[in-house]
Amino acid sequence: MSGNMRARAVTVLATFVGVLALALALVVGSSGSVVTDASAQPGPTAVKPPPRSATPAGKGVSDRDVVTKQAEAGKPAAGKPKTRPGMAIAFWLFAAMSVAGSVFVITRRNLITGVMGMVGTFFALAGLYMLLYAHFLAVIQMLVYAGASMVLFVFVIMILNKPEDEPYATTGKAGKAVAGVAMAYLVYRLASVLLSVDSTVTAPQLAAPAATSQGYDWGSTAAVGWNLFNEYLFPFEAVSILLLVAVVGSIAIARPLKDDDGEVLADEPGAASQGGA
Amino acid sequence: MLMNIGYGHFLVLAALLFAIGTAGVLLRKNVLIIMMSIELMLNAANLTILTFARMHGDLGGHSFAMVVIAVAAAEVAVGLAIVVAIFRGRRHVDVDKMNILKH
Repeated sequence: MSGNMRARAVTVLATFVGVLALALALVVGSSGSVVTDASAQPGPTAVKPPPRSATPAGKGVSDRDVVTKQAEAGKPAAGKPKTRPGMAIAFWLFAAMSVAGSVFVITRRNLITGVMGMVGTFFALAGLYMLLYAHFLAVIQMLVYAGASMVLFVFVIMILNKPEDEPYATTGKAGKAVAGVAMAYLVYRLASVLLSVDSTVTAPQLAAPAATSQGYDWGSTAAVGWNLFNEYLFPFEAVSILLLVAVVGSIAIARPLKDDDGEVLADEPGAASQGGA
Repeated sequence: MLMNIGYGHFLVLAALLFAIGTAGVLLRKNVLIIMMSIELMLNAANLTILTFARMHGDLGGHSFAMVVIAVAAAEVAVGLAIVVAIFRGRRHVDVDKMNILKH
């Protein structure tokens, strides 16, 4: 009883955190005062995005030239270093939220609670994307992951509707030792790569990136779309084919097996496992 | 370090999320939790990609992250279809007991 109540309270809490993350992400994204507006900061405003380039992608310019120019124009503008408390607060909030949500996913016994933690993680990640000036991808993250993927998960959990008996994998001492060594190695590799990245904070890291050579705001829908449909057109088309295959394949897999008379096959418990056992 | 947020903070956070996702895949037995952990790892990779895109001022990272999101959506659709198909026959989704192909 008390376990059920606790699970419910935890679910409500996770939902609340998710809604809070959404609200914060919207505030950060819409006002722009936390990260995008350089003039709102105290002190001399040394950081100003350069004026938009007057060279559009005309006929005389090849694709490769435009792409190179775009990469150059997208580099952050130089300026004097200064602290940005708003960005720091937003980062730590979203970081704590995402880590807490993901820990929820792997520790909770209740599947719905796990999904709610996942939704909170996705919203927090969307906020982090906005801090990185990826506005378009932040919205896509919320739509695709928190909207579509997690609803699908909830549907499947409702269909299954079976509590988990043993949440954690039981292995012998040898398996645990191997898993521990593997995890330690993974953490070591990640740390060694990350420590080699220069993480000193400089002004260009904090300033808003300059507009692209087409005059679009960096990270906006137009800028990402221009990049996607010029430089990455083939991957885009390949992804569309992949999605078609996934749709057809998932329908073919999830459909109940029927024989010629329309009788449903292999829908009884254990019917499919008889061959294996 | 607390008030000056640089790229390193985002990268360390992404590594942390990836490690948590890996732990979920290794520790849990429910296939749905394992799939959510895989989603978590893909998201951590996306965060890294977007951080490096911001660092180098290259919008190609954004395009790549979008491709990753689309592939993850396809993976969820097919994976959940497989889960439903397995559950229909066996009435459980415990990965330790899914060993037909082993015997």
